[in-house]
Amino acid sequence: MSHDPSVWVTALLTLAIFSFLYRENRIFRFAEHLLVGVSAGYYVVQYFYSGVIKKMVIPMSQDLGANWVLLFGGLFGVLMFTRLSRRYGWAARYPIAFYVAAGAGYFIPSILEANVLKQIGGTLTAPAAAASPAAMISAFVLVAGVISCLIYFYFSVEHKGPVGTASRIGILFLMLGFGASFGYTVMGRITLLIGRFQFLFHDWLGWIG
Amino acid sequence: MSEIQRPAPGSAPGSAPGPASGPRGSLGVLAALDRRWIYLAMALAVAIPMLAPVRLPIVISKEVEAFHREIEALAPGDQVLFSFDYEPDVMAELDPMTEAILDRLFAKGIQVIAMTNYAGGVGIGQARLEAAARRHGKTYGTDYVFLGYNPDWSGTMLRLGESIKATFPVDQFGRPTAEIPLLATCDAYRDIELLVSIAGSQLSEFWAAYAGARYGQRMVSGNTAIQAIFIYPFYQSGQIKGFLGGLKGAAEYETLIERPAFGVRGMGSQSAGHLLIVALVIAGNVGYFLMRRKGLLQGNRLRAVERKGRS
Repeated sequence: MSHDPSVWVTALLTLAIFSFLYRENRIFRFAEHLLVGVSAGYYVVQYFYSGVIKKMVIPMSQDLGANWVLLFGGLFGVLMFTRLSRRYGWAARYPIAFYVAAGAGYFIPSILEANVLKQIGGTLTAPAAAASPAAMISAFVLVAGVISCLIYFYFSVEHKGPVGTASRIGILFLMLGFGASFGYTVMGRITLLIGRFQFLFHDWLGWIG
Repeated sequence: MSEIQRPAPGSAPGSAPGPASGPRGSLGVLAALDRRWIYLAMALAVAIPMLAPVRLPIVISKEVEAFHREIEALAPGDQVLFSFDYEPDVMAELDPMTEAILDRLFAKGIQVIAMTNYAGGVGIGQARLEAAARRHGKTYGTDYVFLGYNPDWSGTMLRLGESIKATFPVDQFGRPTAEIPLLATCDAYRDIELLVSIAGSQLSEFWAAYAGARYGQRMVSGNTAIQAIFIYPFYQSGQIKGFLGGLKGAAEYETLIERPAFGVRGMGSQSAGHLLIVALVIAGNVGYFLMRRKGLLQGNRLRAVERKGRS
């Protein structure tokens, strides 16, 4: 069993959170509020250090001549806080407008290329790139799946006849996708429980090596 | 225990409405089963294989093999950008792969430039990096560096293509990056051999867009299980060269590098938990259809149970 006080605190807080599975109780609520409070404190310090100290104060104190332009970034940051005032809240629109415009400018071309153009290319060239008969079948299934799913979401034509058939095949592919997604989700959730049990059995109780 | 068998309605999270005049027999027991029994069963399913380990065969998937190939293709002295894109909520899933990858990189003599796109990733990144460096006797500044957290992940990813030193004027500890020997000849994606993103969110996809599509940066990723399914299209289109999905991905990679650790040890619990969920899904569906066939869940009765559940 661990002699480290921090491990004991972590273990007891873990058990406090687990106690909610039996029923709502004050120990659980205490642990929950503690988590919210500690997280808020941690993030405020981390954001201030990383955003203000590291990005502005240190570079400017080292070489003001080369880094004076950072003052504009700092000023824009301060203007964001004017949203807290009814009288001066309008001033926050300027940094928001800058951020939205700049964000859209560099977001749209990159995302379009990575999420649309390269995906289309990857799908269409999959059969040609297949190295074995099994890979070829897999590639054609992929192409059929993509096309039938796109038809399912195409609502400008009534889903009957060949379009209806393709649409129903699209539903099957979607169901397979949801099933795989659910399986992965279960795996993720169970892993979180495994992580806590590993901590309790290994770090705290020392039952497992 | 008697309280577990007959809970007061609504007293526990997710306790069954428990209709007094509901179905009887085994179907009735199934319908009124308190969810706390399921929690207990899941706890046992996860705990028992941990206390009495069972070594299950681990089949290596194509994407993990591809990930392994990318790491093995690196030569000593190559530089890798390693991004800890996760926070404590998914440590259980991503820490095993992080530790395995860092161990492999340091063992191969690869230089690691680490950073995080999450404020909550600073403590995790620093601790994992320092622990791995200690295990391999690596020196800060020449073998590895931790740049810390930079606000605005999209701007950070894009600007790293122009200059690491301009994006991170100082490292996590306030030391000017211009004075760090490791960064003397490495200042942008063009100098980086491989990008490794370990992410608990969509950030691997954004790395593929901003560093991959825009700058042609070669990359691999490690992702939570929930996120892994969204990575397949990027892997299939060649934008992400290989990836590890969840604890299973970590277990496969640990097996490949012959370093069994937390990932491999967790597979027994993982399998038992999965089997339990499958059994519960089947039991729930069989019970539902049997009750519907017997007319026990129809019309007003079903709506009454639902109304009672909502209230």
